[in-house]
Amino acid sequence: MSFDVPDDRRYLESHEWATTGGDTVRIGVSDFAQDELGDVVFVELPEVGDEIAAGESFGVVESIKAVSDLYAPVSGEVVAVNEDLFDRPELVNEDPYGDGWMLEVEPADGGDAEGLLDADEYDGQIA
Amino acid sequence: MSRANGTPYAPHTDDETAAMLAEIGVDDEEALFDIPEAVSFDGDFGIDARTERGIRDECARIFARNDDLTEFLGRGHYGHYVPSVVDHLADRAEFLTSYTQYQPEVSQGFLQALFEYQSMLVELTGLDVANCSMYDAATALGEAATLADRVRSTSGDTVLVPEQLREGKRAVLENYCDGADLAVETYPMADGTADVDALADRAGDDVAMVYAESPTVRGCIEERLAAIGDLADETDALFVLGSDVVALSVLESPAAVGADVVVGEAGSLGLPTAYGMGLGIFACSDEFLRQVPGRLVGASEDANGDRAYTLTLQTREQHIRKERATSNICTNQAWVALRAAIHAATLGPDGLVDLANDSVREAEALASRIDELSGAAAPVHDRHHFREFAVRVDQPAEAIAADLEGEGFAVHAIDDHLLQVCVTDLNAGETDGLVAAFEEVL
Repeated sequence: MSFDVPDDRRYLESHEWATTGGDTVRIGVSDFAQDELGDVVFVELPEVGDEIAAGESFGVVESIKAVSDLYAPVSGEVVAVNEDLFDRPELVNEDPYGDGWMLEVEPADGGDAEGLLDADEYDGQIA
Repeated sequence: MSRANGTPYAPHTDDETAAMLAEIGVDDEEALFDIPEAVSFDGDFGIDARTERGIRDECARIFARNDDLTEFLGRGHYGHYVPSVVDHLADRAEFLTSYTQYQPEVSQGFLQALFEYQSMLVELTGLDVANCSMYDAATALGEAATLADRVRSTSGDTVLVPEQLREGKRAVLENYCDGADLAVETYPMADGTADVDALADRAGDDVAMVYAESPTVRGCIEERLAAIGDLADETDALFVLGSDVVALSVLESPAAVGADVVVGEAGSLGLPTAYGMGLGIFACSDEFLRQVPGRLVGASEDANGDRAYTLTLQTREQHIRKERATSNICTNQAWVALRAAIHAATLGPDGLVDLANDSVREAEALASRIDELSGAAAPVHDRHHFREFAVRVDQPAEAIAADLEGEGFAVHAIDDHLLQVCVTDLNAGETDGLVAAFEEVL
């Protein structure tokens, strides 16, 4: 089974994605991750104004049978949270790269996602 | 064990056992275990084999040594007459399956029974959610404290409890709080109920939870719950109310007095008082749905659109969430909750209210009869009582309790000159005897 791995963003080994090149970084989980989790029923996210740190857990995603930590691809301040997920957590399954996004962060140190995997590298990891 | 060792009950014959051992290539069953020498027992258990009848006779001889006392004991354990239909239904094989009743695979029938139990508690408390039981009132209280710690934004780590609290409850709460770095403090009581003014003086930002009971440990009905609820609200503390499933049918609705969580006992229904067994209730508002400890049964629809029940929101629980679980309790007392639910359903709403009203009337009547005796005053507290009340005696309470025991009656001595007496429908017919015994020993 092949998974969607768009090449307009970067990835963490723990299956989070981060957009690059904008003033803010948008964060979510990959198509592979949502498939592994199964039906997502709840997402626990930080609040706007909170600080998150690269490599640290910033939240939790729950499916019917599993709970997984979400790890931050970059450090920075949370400037937006996808509140739609509180009522419709299934968006993570339906559209992981679009409507299922989780956070927007203003990176702390220009914080681009350089240290992260590109689409080919990530695709190779999950293949 | 094999038949050669004298048990016809093991499923395997010696030949079958030998064949299995040969198949996996070991000489004997011992080779399958790695038990350190230091802890292995290699001796005789010293248990004489007896016939079934011999065992029955021996047990009968041992039981005959029990005191045959008429109990007027309460303080957390209450007996009401359990209708025989409870045994008949709860003992059906469908309910007594060896399949643990807290697994996701539990049968639809049992899930429905537990859903009914939860629904009854929601109705009795006026709150939104009830879990399908905790071990007892004490563990439910401990869980409420850790919930307060999780959900309250205050930096507080103090749990306030009434100074008069059943010792076992207090000890279990201390255990829970110790691990969660919470401190348990007491607030004073005034005449058997909370001293609300003293509580107001103590309330503050460092308080995460305020606990009050109605009925209190002295059997008094707490009349100022709403004031306690307001106090807790003002300081963003969780208001946890301890009560009893029968009392809840006539007391002010916990939701109406601002209770965030209700804990307590449902073991007064469906269970005898023997062995000190309890059944913990835990109900709370929707706001804390994802923080509820223990198991929750939810109603949904199956693929055909028919109503179906399921254990729900399990991601709160430790088998999934591990160290970040809301509680290290993933279990419940399903069969005991079933008994309580059958008992409550048998009584029906009116029957439950009648039972509760009798618990007020019987206590009042017995207290006034004891009060007429010289050397005793009852009730000690100028309050309404539920099932039980304190009695002040001129002589030392321990001595009076011992003398009453000599007359065939058991009551609690709770202080130098205080006794506590509990009356329910089970011993209400024995009150003449108790009053006569009091008269004898005072």
